[in-house]
Amino acid sequence: MVKDSSSGLSSALSGGADTIVARATAAGACALAVIRVSGPETGRLARVLCPKIDMETPWRAAVVRLCDRSGGFLETAVAIPYRAPKSYTGEDMLELMVHGSPWIVDAVVGTMISAGARHANPGEFTRRAVANGKMDLVQAEAVNEVVHAETAWQARLAREQLHGALSREFGALKEELIVFLAEIEGSLDFEEQGAVVNQEVLRKAHEGCVSRIDALLDTTAVGVRVREGARVVIVGPPNSGKSTLFNALLARERAIVTAAPGTTRDVLEADLEIEGLPVILVDTAGLREAADLAEAEGIRRAEQEEARADVILALHAADEGGAPQSQEVGDRRLDIVSKVDLANQRMDGILAISCVTGEGLDRLREEIHRRVSEPMMSITAGVAVNARHANALVRAREYLEGVLLVPREVAALEIRSGMMVLDEVLGEVDDEDVLEAVFSAFCVGK
Amino acid sequence: MSSRPSSRLFVLVNEGVAVRKWDVVVVGAGHAGIEAAMVTARMGATVCIVTLSRDTIGQMPCNPAAGGIGKGHLIIELDALGGIQGWAADRSGIQFRRLNASRGPAVWGPRAQCDKERYSQLMRRLVARARNMTVIEGEAREIVIEKGRASGVRLASGEVIRGACVILTTGTFLGGVIHTGDDRQEGGRFGERPSVGLGKSLRGLGLELRRFKTGTPPRLHRRSIDYSKLETQEGDDNPRPFSWRTRSVVNRAVCWVGRTPEMIRDIIKENLDRSPLFSGRIDGVGPRYCPSIEDKIVRFPHHKEHTVFLEPETLNGPSMYVNGLSTSLPADIQELVVRAVPGFEEARFLRYGYAVEYDVVAPKQVGHDLQVSTVPGLYLAGQIMGTSGYEEAAALGFIAGTNAAASLLGAEGLRLGREQAYIGVLVDDLVNREHREPYRIFTSRAEHRLLLGVDSATERLMAEGVRLGLVPTGVFHVEQEKWERRRRVGLLLESSALSPNRLTREQFRASLGVELRNPTTWAGILRRQDIDDRQAAALAPGLGALSPEDRAIVVGQLRYSGYVERHSRERSRIERLRHIPIPGDFSYQAIIGLSREVLEEMERVRPKTLAEAERLAGITPAAMALIAGRLSAARRE
Ligand SMILES: Cc1cc2nc3c(=O)[nH]c(=O)nc-3n(C[C@H](O)[C@H](O)[C@H](O)COP(=O)(O)OP(=O)(O)OC[C@H]3O[C@@H](n4cnc5c(N)ncnc54)[C@H](O)[C@@H]3O)c2cc1C
Ligand SMILES: Nc1nc2c(ncn2[C@@H]2O[C@H](COP(=O)(O)OP(=O)(O)OP(=O)(O)O)[C@@H](O)[C@H]2O)c(=O)[nH]1
Ligand SMILES: [Mg+2]
Repeated sequence: MVKDSSSGLSSALSGGADTIVARATAAGACALAVIRVSGPETGRLARVLCPKIDMETPWRAAVVRLCDRSGGFLETAVAIPYRAPKSYTGEDMLELMVHGSPWIVDAVVGTMISAGARHANPGEFTRRAVANGKMDLVQAEAVNEVVHAETAWQARLAREQLHGALSREFGALKEELIVFLAEIEGSLDFEEQGAVVNQEVLRKAHEGCVSRIDALLDTTAVGVRVREGARVVIVGPPNSGKSTLFNALLARERAIVTAAPGTTRDVLEADLEIEGLPVILVDTAGLREAADLAEAEGIRRAEQEEARADVILALHAADEGGAPQSQEVGDRRLDIVSKVDLANQRMDGILAISCVTGEGLDRLREEIHRRVSEPMMSITAGVAVNARHANALVRAREYLEGVLLVPREVAALEIRSGMMVLDEVLGEVDDEDVLEAVFSAFCVGK
Repeated sequence: MSSRPSSRLFVLVNEGVAVRKWDVVVVGAGHAGIEAAMVTARMGATVCIVTLSRDTIGQMPCNPAAGGIGKGHLIIELDALGGIQGWAADRSGIQFRRLNASRGPAVWGPRAQCDKERYSQLMRRLVARARNMTVIEGEAREIVIEKGRASGVRLASGEVIRGACVILTTGTFLGGVIHTGDDRQEGGRFGERPSVGLGKSLRGLGLELRRFKTGTPPRLHRRSIDYSKLETQEGDDNPRPFSWRTRSVVNRAVCWVGRTPEMIRDIIKENLDRSPLFSGRIDGVGPRYCPSIEDKIVRFPHHKEHTVFLEPETLNGPSMYVNGLSTSLPADIQELVVRAVPGFEEARFLRYGYAVEYDVVAPKQVGHDLQVSTVPGLYLAGQIMGTSGYEEAAALGFIAGTNAAASLLGAEGLRLGREQAYIGVLVDDLVNREHREPYRIFTSRAEHRLLLGVDSATERLMAEGVRLGLVPTGVFHVEQEKWERRRRVGLLLESSALSPNRLTREQFRASLGVELRNPTTWAGILRRQDIDDRQAAALAPGLGALSPEDRAIVVGQLRYSGYVERHSRERSRIERLRHIPIPGDFSYQAIIGLSREVLEEMERVRPKTLAEAERLAGITPAAMALIAGRLSAARRE
C-alpha cells in the first residue's frame, strides 16, 4: 500500500495510525451528506477547516462554518466531534453533516486531504473499530449487513449480530472448548498431584462442544434465508399460469405471458418482500416432454430449482383437471389449483387461486409467509451463521472429530487448532487473508 | 575452596582499595547462579561468584526434589546443552520416577527425590574445583555503572567487584520478608538475612519491580510419624537418570502418601484471620498452581480431602518434607492442622512452614539473551525474574551465562526457539508476556509439545552443547546413533506391508487380540491405541531388537507422526518466511491488529527480515504471525 508523504509525516508525528477521511453517505447529489474523519490528527484537521470549532466538547452537535485552506467560505455544517476511545473507531473522530452537493463534499474532503488526511479505504473505519477492540469481526460483518438490510428480518438479524448475539454464541462455544481443554491439560500436567480425569468426563465435555457446533451449523440454512431470501419456486405443467402468478405476486409484468404452452424457457428470479420477509420468487419452464433442446435445458433447470427450493408452489390448472396427482408430505410443497375462475365445480380443501379475479392470492401470500417464517422463528435470539462462520465451524468440528481416540497430548493439540479456527471467526487471530475477505464487501466511509 | 587466580584476572589498585576485575560477576549461588557461573567459566571466561554465604551454595530451599512434568523437560534439555543440574540430581537422587509414564513420550516427566544436603555438597565441590572461578562471600548492594554499562557490583563492605558483565541471581532475597502467622521477619529464606540495598539500586536504574510471594510447608521428624496409616510410593522398577554423564541410578528411599481429613477445613476457616495471606499482611502475589493449604481450602471448599506427600529431605537424616501442606499459618494452628492428618497425630515439628515475600524485576525489561534492555552488561536469571522452581532458575542461569560469556568472547550466544525447546518457551514467555504471578513451566505452555518430548532432547539440542564446547563430540555420536537407530526402525515399520491373509489374521488374533481386516503397514497397526507395543515387539520387524525405552519412543513417535508432520509443515512455512526480506517501504500501518507498541518499534528499527523482526523487544508470536501474513500477501500481489 502506498501512502502519500504528508500522511507519512503526520503519522510519524502522532506516533500511530494516520488520519482518514471519507464521505459516509451515498455518492451523488442528495439533501445531506455525512463526512467522517478518524485518527489522531482529527482535531488539527478540524481546525484547518474551521479554526473556531470546539473540539473540547465532544459528543455534542454544533453548527460551524467551514472554509478551505485559503480561508474561502465553503459551507455551513453540523459537526459532531468524538473523543477516543468513545467513538465508532475507538479513535478521535469528527462527523460533518453538509449539503449533499458533490462539489461541497469533494471540497471538504479535498481540504482535509491537502491538510494531511488520507482518503479512507473501503471498510477502513470499521477495520479500525475491530483493531481497537470496539467490536469483533462477526459484529463488523453485521455493520455491513445492517447497512444493506432491505427487509425487516434482515435488519433484525443484522442488528442482533451487531449487538453481539452471534459473537456471544461463539464465545460460549470457545468457553466450552477451553473447559474441555483444561480437563485434558490438567490430566497431562498434574498427574503428580493425582489429577485423574476419567474418560466419561471428557466424553461429556466433547459431546457438549460438538452439539454446540452442530446447533450453530443448523442455523446456516436459516441464515441464508434471511440474508438472501427464501427461494419460492413456481412449478407446474405448461400453461398452468406460472408466469401469470409470478407477475401477480410481484405486481408488475416481469414475465412474458402468452396463451401458448411452453412460453417460459429459462428460469426467472425476482426479489419480493412478504410482510418484512425477504423472498426470492422463481418462475420456471413448464414440465413436459421437451420439443427442442432449449426447452429440454429449461426443464432441467426447472427441476434443479425445484430441488433447492425452500417453498414450492405447484400449480394445477382448474381447466386441466385441477386436482394434484400425488401429494408430497411436508411443508415445502404447496399444491395449488390455478385459474379457479374457469373451474366448473367448487374446490374445497385445497388452495385455489385466480389471477384474473384475484381470488385466493391473499391466502397464498399468508401460506408462503407461514412456511418461510416458521423456521426463522426458531433462530435463537436472532442468531444465524453465514458461509464464513459455517466454514470455520465445519473445520473446528473436523478437529474435534477424533480427539477421544488419540493420545491426550495429541487431543490437546487438536482442540487448540479448533479454537484457533474460532478465533479467526471473531478476528482474534489476525490473519490478513481472513480480514481481507470480510472487509472486501465494504464500501468507503464505513 | 576459593579463588584460583587465572590468567585473565587483573588486580588494580585504585585509591588504596584493591579493585579486582573479572569477565563476569555472578551475584548469588543458587540454582541460577551456579549454572550461570559454571557455563561462563567452562566457555573460557573468568567468573567471580558473590554470594551471601558459602555454606548455602546450591541449596534447595523448598522441596527435596528435581524434575516433574515440564520441569523434568527443562533438566533434560539443560543436560543436553551441557548444564549440570541433571548430573547433580542424579548423584544426589534417592528415588526416581517417570511421571505420565503411561502416556506418550512427549509428556513423560522424569522426577527425582534428592538428598538435599548431598545436592548442595556436590554443588559446593563443583564450584570450588572449577577453573576460572572465584567465590567471594558478601552482599552486593549496588550495580556499578560505567559509560552506561554495568561494570561490577559494590558490596556492603564498600569493596567493588568489577566485571565486564554482571548476572544477578538473587532468588527470593530482594526485600525478602518471611511470614509465619503474625510473626514477620526480614529474611530471604529461613534463617538468612534479606538483600535490601540491591533493590534500591535496581529501582535507581529505572527498573520496574513487582512483589511476589511463595511458601513452604513444615518439616516433621522422621521418627514421629505413624507409617502404618500412610501409603508408600515406590520409585520406578527401572530408574533412569537425567544426565548423559550418569550411567545408572538406584532407588534408595520411598515416599509416603496421606490425605487430609475434612475437619481441617474448619480449623483453617476459624483461623483465617491469623493467616497473613488473608489478613492482608502479605500483598505479594503467589503462584496459583502451588497454593498453600489455606488457599486450597478457600478456593476449593467442595474438596473433601487433599493429598499430602511425605518426602525425606535426606537419605538418613530426620527431616521429612510435607508436600501439599505449604502454609504460613501461625505455629499453633500448623500443629493442629498437621496433627489432624492420619499418621501425623504425634508429629514433631523440626521447622514450621512459612511464606516469603520478595521483589522481582518485571521480566519484560530483559531481552531474549536475558540482558536488561536498558542496562547493557546486566543480566538476570532465576527467581529474580519472577519464575519459581529450581529447574526454571537453572535453565535461565545457563542462558544468561552463555550469552554473557559469548558477548565477551565474540562467540555466538544461545537463543532457543519456542519450537526448539521448553527453555525457549520459558525465555520467550518471560520476556514477551505480562506476568502477575510467579511463572512455572507447564507442558501446556508449549504449542509444539509433541516435538519437545524428553526423548528428543539430545537430538534437538546436543549439537549446541558441542558448539559451546560443553559436550564432548564422542558423547554426541553415541546419542546420535541412538536416535538414528530409532529412526531406522520407524522407517522399517512404515514400509513393512501387512496383508490380511489367513496366516497373519490368525497370528494377529492370537497374539494381539485384534482383527486384521484391510491391508496396512506395521506402522499403521502400531498407531492404534489398543495395540500393546510390548506384545507387538515379538512380531513387528526391528522392534524386538530395541530396548523397551526405545520401543516406546518409536511407537509413540509413530502415533504422533501425522500430527507432527502437519505441525512441521506449519513450522517450515514459518521458517521459510523468516528469511524473506522485508521491503524498506513495507507498511506496518496496513496491518490490522498490531499493537501501537509493536508498530512503533517496527517503524523505528525497520528490520530487514522476519528473523530480525522476531528479535526486537515486545514482539509477540501473534505479532509475528500478523507481519508474516501481511508480508506473504504483499508478495502475492
Ligand atoms: C520459602 C520458599 C518456598 C519455595 N517454594 C517453592 C515451591 O513450592 N515450588 C517451587 O518450584 N519453587 C519454590 N521455591 C523456589 C525455589 O527455591 C527457587 O525458585 C529457586 O531456588 C530459585 O533459584 P535462584 O537461583 O533464582 O535463587 P536462590 O536459590 O534463592 O538463590 C539466591 C542466591 O542469591 C544469594 N544472594 C541473594 N542476595 C544477594 C546479594 N545481595 N548479594 C550476594 N548474594 C546474594 C543467596 O545467598 C543465594 O545464594 C521456594 C523458595 C522458597 C525460599
Ligand atoms: N382465466 C384465467 N386464465 C389464466 C389465469 N392465469 C393464467 N391464465 C392464462 O393462461 C395462459 C398461460 O399463462 P402463463 O402464465 O403463461 O402460463 P405458464 O404456466 O407460465 O406457461 P409456460 O410458461 O408455457 O409453462 C395465459 O393465456 C394466461 O392469460 C387465471 O387465473 N385465469
Ligand atoms: Mg411461463
